[in-house]
Amino acid sequence: METIEETATAATEATETRRFRVFRFKRGDRGPHLDEFDVPVTARTTLFDAMRWIQFNRDPSLALRHSCLHASCGTCGVRANGREVLMCVTAVHDLGREITVEPVANIPVLTDLVVDMTEFYARFHEAHPLVRESGFDLGAEVPEGLATYQRYEDCIECGLCLSACPVVATTDRYVGPMALAWAQRILEEPRDEDVLGVRDWADDPDGAWRCHAAFECTEACPSNVNPAARIMQLRGTLVGPSLTGREMRG
Amino acid sequence: MSDTTRGDGVPGSSERAARGPVLRKGVGPSPTGWFDPRGRAIGSWAFAVNRITGLGLVFYLYLHLGVLSLLLAGESAWNDFLEIATSTVFLGLDVLLLFGILFHGLNGVRVALVGTGVVPNRQMALFWAGTVIGTIVLVYGAVHIIGSG
Amino acid sequence: MNAHASRTSRPHVLIVGGGGTGGALAHDLTLRGIKVTLVERGEVTSGTTGRHHGLLHSGARYAVGDRESAIECIEENTILRRICPGSFEENDGLFVAITDEDMEYLEPLLKGCADCGIPTQTLTSDEALRLEPLLNPELKAAVRIPDATMDAMRMPLRFFATAKHGGAGIHSYMEVEGLLVHDHLVSGAVVLDHVTGKEGEIRADIVVNATGPWAELIAAMAGVDVPIRPSPGVLLALRGRLSNMVINRMHKSGDGDIVVPQRALSIVGTSSWTVDDPDDLGVPEDHVRRMYEEGSKLIPAVKTAEFRAAWSAARPLIGSTDQVDSGRELSRTFKTYDHKETDGVEGFVTITGGKGTTLRGMAELCANVICAKLGIEAECQTRDTVLLPHEAYYAA
Repeated sequence: METIEETATAATEATETRRFRVFRFKRGDRGPHLDEFDVPVTARTTLFDAMRWIQFNRDPSLALRHSCLHASCGTCGVRANGREVLMCVTAVHDLGREITVEPVANIPVLTDLVVDMTEFYARFHEAHPLVRESGFDLGAEVPEGLATYQRYEDCIECGLCLSACPVVATTDRYVGPMALAWAQRILEEPRDEDVLGVRDWADDPDGAWRCHAAFECTEACPSNVNPAARIMQLRGTLVGPSLTGREMRG
Repeated sequence: MSDTTRGDGVPGSSERAARGPVLRKGVGPSPTGWFDPRGRAIGSWAFAVNRITGLGLVFYLYLHLGVLSLLLAGESAWNDFLEIATSTVFLGLDVLLLFGILFHGLNGVRVALVGTGVVPNRQMALFWAGTVIGTIVLVYGAVHIIGSG
Repeated sequence: MNAHASRTSRPHVLIVGGGGTGGALAHDLTLRGIKVTLVERGEVTSGTTGRHHGLLHSGARYAVGDRESAIECIEENTILRRICPGSFEENDGLFVAITDEDMEYLEPLLKGCADCGIPTQTLTSDEALRLEPLLNPELKAAVRIPDATMDAMRMPLRFFATAKHGGAGIHSYMEVEGLLVHDHLVSGAVVLDHVTGKEGEIRADIVVNATGPWAELIAAMAGVDVPIRPSPGVLLALRGRLSNMVINRMHKSGDGDIVVPQRALSIVGTSSWTVDDPDDLGVPEDHVRRMYEEGSKLIPAVKTAEFRAAWSAARPLIGSTDQVDSGRELSRTFKTYDHKETDGVEGFVTITGGKGTTLRGMAELCANVICAKLGIEAECQTRDTVLLPHEAYYAA
């Protein structure tokens, strides 16, 4: 007689096959094409697992970008059936019977599903502090000798917001949601950065004013940055002094 | 097989350095940008329809001015117009116009409230509230417009 | 020796493997004036380096059973905070005693830390709960130690960024398919470029095998053997930041005995078994369950926290291949193998073992060996060189 453990294990081992259409492009190719693969999957298989399976069992030339496998590094962003996701935390089960996998949009493709993040990072203002006050106080005391509990900024620099933004789709001059969200975080918590410099950088037709509130970025963000809300708060901050007469201090 | 380029032997260096193709969202070979809200969330639909109704209202504005200029052309010209203006098709277009005004106006209020940081986290709630108000007014208006014909 | 005779004005070192060790070595050698090319088959840190829970070790975990490791850890912990400022969640950590048996470990832990130079602060249960309210309320005592959290990818990326801007050639998506070996001399590698699909050869005076748990596979290309056993462990990411400090179980190393905060996630780890193929690890369900069980003994909220991800990462453990299967008994120190000495093969060095925290120290050791082989006198400068920020890696 099967124990509950065995039934559970059997359920997760039950395999079925899903068809994947994967974007392929090597430099020197005339253009990209889609390769089809049938991959065995279980209830637990992630999109990363499936792409890895293809890489090791069908086509070793398939290039993939990944690192942490737990939505912390932001390197495995792709579009699955047109929607921006991180491969490592997306269950194949949630994607449908046939799945088209493409690189994220609005960033130049390096090879296959890998994009070259140089232009992504170039969009940020140079002030890029990684660590912030924790904000997860849990009603706790801070240990003797520490000023405050710290943690990393939520943004994992995955580029999903940049891919999802309909405005970026029409112009590369718009800095993009993540760059503005990061700027807003600096205005909220300066950490010795040049706050007035960041403010002036954001107060630009291709900065905070290019956003048209589609909110696709917030939908796509896997890390609760809520870039659209941050951009709106940023606008409030930029406009505030004119309305209240109170200048922002640097 | 061998390709020892650039002295340091790293193959394909110049091809690697070149800017790769940039994909844009949208269906088909050419990028359709904001015009293609398929596969996107409600916020994008509102964004796209806002633009379409905006263009539509601008077009309507010129049409309206053109029509009003018929007043200068005399009574019979205006009466001819009124005949068309009371036909069912035209009244149907009036309802469409009403939809455009309501959507653009209400969504505009939503964008104003959200876009200046007043209620940035309530954009979905505002959208549905606007939809409810807009639907009530549209139905009331449609009944009266078409009923008057 | 042929390799040196054919050298041009600057010696050229080819590093195979773009993990933390490879990156730190590229940086160290570049500072010593050596021309460096690094090739990595995927994205940098995509092997084991990017996958760990992000602990910057205080060394306390090894203070009782593995003093050598503990001392390495606390030294590197201090250095990394100095050369990578702004790259850590510097909240310290706690060793927490849950059972009476755990309490027997308290004295040895304190003594071991004192012997290794790891500062400690003993806390009562009340004091610990004031710092971390979600801890198991039945805890008996806690010891505060200078653990910290790192971003497992972004911290090593600073080494790559600095090396690249210093002139090193860092090439991701370039896979080594074979080594150029003739007459017991390694003179370079045959690589496949996954960006263009083209093959090529890269020649170098010394080839360094810095591939972590893949070390045996690369070494075999040169016809030599290294005693590396890939030893994976399971990790579990849960939604919710359940602590700000790193929480460790006060006992000898065991499964699920650490909870590391990372942004708005909590990472519970880890377990241990050995495999033959570092590319085929699997994620055993019973190990994942064990993470929930053991983790919730430290922080009860683990039991009901929302699942984010479960994955495996392979440690490169040094030891002979016929050792026991669990892998935990093997030493965690790192070692450099100059294959001229061990196998009579010139031009080939393997660096392996170690952990995320000791990347810079491993690189220093290996760079010393490489400089000696090349007949170069150059001091290590990595202890005090502040690294470029991680985003500089992607700057043109």
